[in-house]
Amino acid sequence: MADRQRSVDHLLPLKPKVLHVLLALADGPRHGYGIMQEVAARTEGLVRLWPAALYGTLRELEDLDWIAEASERPTDDDERRRYFALTPLGKRVLSAEVRRLEAIVDLARASRALRKEGRA
Amino acid sequence: MRLYNRLLRLLRGRDTDERRAIQDDAERLLDTARVRGGAAVTATWLALIWDLAAGATHDLARAVRSLIRAPGFTVTVSLLLGLGVAATTTLFALINAVILKPLPYADPEQLVMFWEWNATQNRVEGPSPGNVDDWVARSDAFEAITAWWTASATLRGRDGSAPVTGVQVTKGFFAVFRRAPLLGRTFADDEYAGTPSIASGRTGGREPVLVLSHRLWQNLGANPALVGDTVYVEGRNWRVLGVMPPDFAVPDAGAGFWTPWDVREAYRGARFPDGPPRDFRFLNVVGRVTAGLSREAASERMEVLASRLAADHPRTNAGWSVQLVPLNEQLVRSSRTELLLVFGAVSCLLLLVCANVASLAIARGAARARETAIRLALGAGRSRIVKEHLAESGLSAALTALVAIVLTIGSLSGTVAFAPSDIPRLHEVEVNAQVVAFAVAISLLVTLAGVVLPGLRGSAPAIAAALKEGAPISGRRGSQVRRALVVAEIGVTVVLLVGAGLLVRSFARLQRVDPGFDVRNLLVLRISPDVTRYQGPRVTDYYGRVLDSIRELPGVAAAAAVTVLPMSTIGSDFYRPYWLEGAPTSGNTATVANVRMATPEYFSTLGLPLVAGREFSAQDTLQGPRVIIINESLARSAWQGQDPVGRELILDYQGGATPRRVVGVVRDARYDGPRSAPAPEIFIPHAQNPYLVMNLLVRTTIDPEALARAARARALAVDHDQPVHSVTTMERLLDDTMQQDRFAMLFVGLFAAAGLVTAATGVYALLAYTVAQRRREIAVRMAIGASSNSVARLVVMESLMLALAGCVTGGLGVAAVSRLGRSILFGIAPQDPLTLAATAAVLLVTVLTASWLPARRAARINPVSAMRV
Repeated sequence: MADRQRSVDHLLPLKPKVLHVLLALADGPRHGYGIMQEVAARTEGLVRLWPAALYGTLRELEDLDWIAEASERPTDDDERRRYFALTPLGKRVLSAEVRRLEAIVDLARASRALRKEGRA
Repeated sequence: MRLYNRLLRLLRGRDTDERRAIQDDAERLLDTARVRGGAAVTATWLALIWDLAAGATHDLARAVRSLIRAPGFTVTVSLLLGLGVAATTTLFALINAVILKPLPYADPEQLVMFWEWNATQNRVEGPSPGNVDDWVARSDAFEAITAWWTASATLRGRDGSAPVTGVQVTKGFFAVFRRAPLLGRTFADDEYAGTPSIASGRTGGREPVLVLSHRLWQNLGANPALVGDTVYVEGRNWRVLGVMPPDFAVPDAGAGFWTPWDVREAYRGARFPDGPPRDFRFLNVVGRVTAGLSREAASERMEVLASRLAADHPRTNAGWSVQLVPLNEQLVRSSRTELLLVFGAVSCLLLLVCANVASLAIARGAARARETAIRLALGAGRSRIVKEHLAESGLSAALTALVAIVLTIGSLSGTVAFAPSDIPRLHEVEVNAQVVAFAVAISLLVTLAGVVLPGLRGSAPAIAAALKEGAPISGRRGSQVRRALVVAEIGVTVVLLVGAGLLVRSFARLQRVDPGFDVRNLLVLRISPDVTRYQGPRVTDYYGRVLDSIRELPGVAAAAAVTVLPMSTIGSDFYRPYWLEGAPTSGNTATVANVRMATPEYFSTLGLPLVAGREFSAQDTLQGPRVIIINESLARSAWQGQDPVGRELILDYQGGATPRRVVGVVRDARYDGPRSAPAPEIFIPHAQNPYLVMNLLVRTTIDPEALARAARARALAVDHDQPVHSVTTMERLLDDTMQQDRFAMLFVGLFAAAGLVTAATGVYALLAYTVAQRRREIAVRMAIGASSNSVARLVVMESLMLALAGCVTGGLGVAAVSRLGRSILFGIAPQDPLTLAATAAVLLVTVLTASWLPARRAARINPVSAMRV
């Protein structure tokens, strides 16, 4: 267990872009354009990914074996497109990052200064 | 979308799934944006392009990083070094062709150029026909002496007329240069007298003959049968006797043909009762020193002869001596400063590249020390490791030379196209055996300096120390050497930056100089009419008709003609003595002025205001009283503030000294460009001296370029056989006078920018490396309470120390080379405080920027994880 823990921790923190891509894939396989739309929708347009950088990131994540081309394709299948899905490693990285962020958020909530600001 | 696709293809390769996916998605994003309107489309567009560009730089950085890892290291180093070597080799090829390569004549060291020199007036002039004639007859120090002068001529071929440059040469011309023709023959000794001359239009008793330059021969179809046939030049047929080889370029590559000329025959009759004039100094004279006689001895004998001539002809020759200048020196004199400047800039860049590569090699050698130590410990022979190292360096040198030669071939053609056109012998530039040898030698040298020596440090490490777990991977000495290299890089960059800054400021000052008249909306054209068709009043009439016709064009405000335009190098100025009425007519005490012929309205067309009196009018004809207009400089020096209008001045020009009445004074103009000071000038009405070849000046109310075609057509409509050429605008001419300054500014600026980037890379690489190496030390500091800020400050302070040391080094360099800059700069001292301050500022900002990433990395070191390993 300890061994597994360390193999993921040294990959954190994730770049925001990578985190958003992994989150977009958490619910199931998507193609590139789908990821762009999903990220824009989830963040209400605050975070937008653009194709050249996105596909570069997808290639890197594939090389890292965090995502892979999906074997089962969803129902709204688009013949020409590649669908990506999280690999087990990718899922572990994502959940580790979420746990890390949770811890930070907890820490922030505990801080008195921030609490005051929140009330004011 | 086409642009996007093209960029994408360029960056992501031809045919990948990824590229197609990116393209599809970009199209869909744009489609979605179109629904929301134009602003959204633009925003999406910009975002897409930005996305593409950012992705590209990211990929590029990754590629470079992976290249630096072996075996790409060799390739990277070779590319870097190759670039520097190529720049140096290009310059070597240029300098080799222009300065070092012997002239293409046999025994070129015997060739000297003659100048007449007046020490008291501080004037150096081309010799006068009368004196040359005496030198040829009386000097025994030369195997041969020849004189020539160039004239523009009109060549009529099947497809219209074209201006060509004819060179009229005296007996001995081909003997002096000892060159045989490529085809046919040159002139026989008895062919010089009795043949017609281009400019005078005199017919002479013999058939006109000429020898063609290789270039003109090629333009005429390169037919060997042309030798023996005739060409139609200046209104008559000339027999072609021969064709010279391509590298025979006397006086320069622009020469079209050579014709025989005889001094005594040219100056005789009623106009020259004393034979060839001695105070009419304008010829180009070259002689071949007698074999076995030194140049100094020849020079002494000439001085003796000159003083004898001065005693015989005191009116014209008193005070005049002779100067001999070796021909090769004469040719490169003007462009030497430029080339040395450029060579300096290039050497600086080569130094920078070398320093950077050396820095890389030290880091790499250090990184390999451990690997080498392990191999040694496992029993690998030391000689084997050294051999491997040398093989790698040899490969690197060979690659460097290859890259350099390929780049040199490319850059040479570029340089020849962009360099100032007046660099002599530029057409002789080529990549020959010498140039290749130079490239190879420099490649070896820089590889030795940049790769072998720094790399050797890593090949003999102390095994035990290197193998210790977690030992620092480089010694203190290695990083000290690297630090010194970076300081040197910054120093060299400071020199380049100061140079570039000074040249920019100097150029800005040049551009602000008021030339004296309005340069905007002026179209200029030149007409070289045929001398056999137009003489005397017919010339005046011809130009009158051409100007009237051009004035009718819509958009033309005024038009006039003059022999020599401001800012123009075409056209011949006459430098003639003048004196005031009542003063003794003594040639040697007289001062001189530039004499020019101008039509009515010339000054109003030019926009040069009259200070007093009037312009020329149509009444100033050959029959009317002789009148002149002078400029303020002349008015000041001749009449010291009194009103010169109505007074007379005696001008020794064209058939002796005649008094001429001053009718106007015009404001001074900088005739030769912003660098030149105004000189005394005398203008004569064109009708009173109908000079043949004139420059037309057209003041327009619209863009002058738009009128160029129409104005030329109007001139051709008057007489279709007279070539109208050199059509340009005054703004262009003004610009051309600053061509050298612009070239210097751009060139040094480019190298300063390259130097800045190189130095920044050097600083970054050093700091990044130091931070990586001191990871554990920094972690310890942070563990015992140092803040991230203080750690970052540590790195930034180090970069500041480097910058400071570099500035001091550079300052010393600037002081050392500032003397060289003085002749190039205009209106600014090499110690200009603004430039120095700006340089320091630019440098500091650059160094701080370069240190930002390493500093941030140091600040983010996690003490726990850094100390765990």
